[in-house]
Amino acid sequence: MPPKKSIGAEYLKGLWDENPVFRQLLGMCPTLAVTNAVINGIAMGLATAFVLILSSLVVSSIKKLIPNQVRIATFIVIIASFVTIADRFLAAFFPPISKALGPYVPLIVVNCIILGRQEAFSSKNSVGRSLLDAFGMSTGFILALLILSSIREILGSGTFLGFQVMGSWFKPWVIMILPAGAFITLGVLLGIAILIESKTKTRST
Amino acid sequence: MSLSARMIVVLTVVGLISGSLLAVVGLLTKERIEMNRQQEIQTAINEVIPSTKTSHKIYEDETLTVYESLDENKNNVGFAVYTSGTGFQDIITLMYGVDPSVSKIKNLTILDQKETPGLGAKITDEKSFLRFWEGRNCEKPLSLRKPAVDSPEKLAPSEVNAITGATISSEKVLEIVNLSLQRLKQIKQGGKLSSEEKNAT
Repeated sequence: MPPKKSIGAEYLKGLWDENPVFRQLLGMCPTLAVTNAVINGIAMGLATAFVLILSSLVVSSIKKLIPNQVRIATFIVIIASFVTIADRFLAAFFPPISKALGPYVPLIVVNCIILGRQEAFSSKNSVGRSLLDAFGMSTGFILALLILSSIREILGSGTFLGFQVMGSWFKPWVIMILPAGAFITLGVLLGIAILIESKTKTRST
Repeated sequence: MSLSARMIVVLTVVGLISGSLLAVVGLLTKERIEMNRQQEIQTAINEVIPSTKTSHKIYEDETLTVYESLDENKNNVGFAVYTSGTGFQDIITLMYGVDPSVSKIKNLTILDQKETPGLGAKITDEKSFLRFWEGRNCEKPLSLRKPAVDSPEKLAPSEVNAITGATISSEKVLEIVNLSLQRLKQIKQGGKLSSEEKNAT
């Protein structure tokens, strides 16, 4: 087993070193699909964070009880329960957001970030570390969605969180809020992430 | 405990706990979700028939729901029609208001759509689409004006404006409205929309 990380590093690794979107390339489906507006990106990020943190809490607390052979099935049942709670909660209290996110809330069940963290981390680590890991990964995911959706909303609609930020001279790039815009933005951001990573690596060696 | 027994016990217990948890959450949110739906319809009725004071469901079948709208003196000021149909990509759900004689459209509002963002999704846009529906003569089926014009005055009385770059979405909305108008007229002729009958029951 690798040496234990410090408490801070356990949290911070989700922000950059192991950022779920930019470094692990997990959870691409919601990342691409719902980032056409900042509010949708934030809502999706928060819903995923809710599910991830609570699932990590439950899985790490009962990890000794779960037989290895049925661990995936157990994880999925736990994750699906929290996803359904999040889905009902959004439908009841934030109907416009629930409508905008459509089928992507139920689809959090199969978001690889969540199952991936249970399998790779929560099922092997203490409750405290699992929570830190889940908080870190969630922050990293929310940040990634925020960056992606900001770029897409500003260029695609000329607005940020619904407020006009571009002058009247600006002609919105419709492609940015279409699926193609999601791929272009993500591709460029991944390229930048790799560039930064390679620059910092050469400096440290 | 043998391994297989343990697997069964663990999965059953986890399933039972999460099932009961979800049942509770479902019960707690059900009322609120239903209330949101009702409120959405209420807001839409007020939007399509602004003089509405009260309204009630007067007719319902599998294709459309009709609400009768009354002003403060309990006079019928029109009918709000809630209906849906296929759009370019997915189901479009909309509501529009007509006057009591079903000869003029009052307003149109789109409740749910998944058209292409930035193009077909403009059917929810007041400036480029919805305002062109106000006051349209609907005694005969409506038709689509393309290329689009920039002000409602330039349209013939029974024409509605197409959205540049989203002709199909515009056509689909028109189709949904025309179909339901035809149905509404049938229902009206069948006498199912008269308030007297409603009051008697």
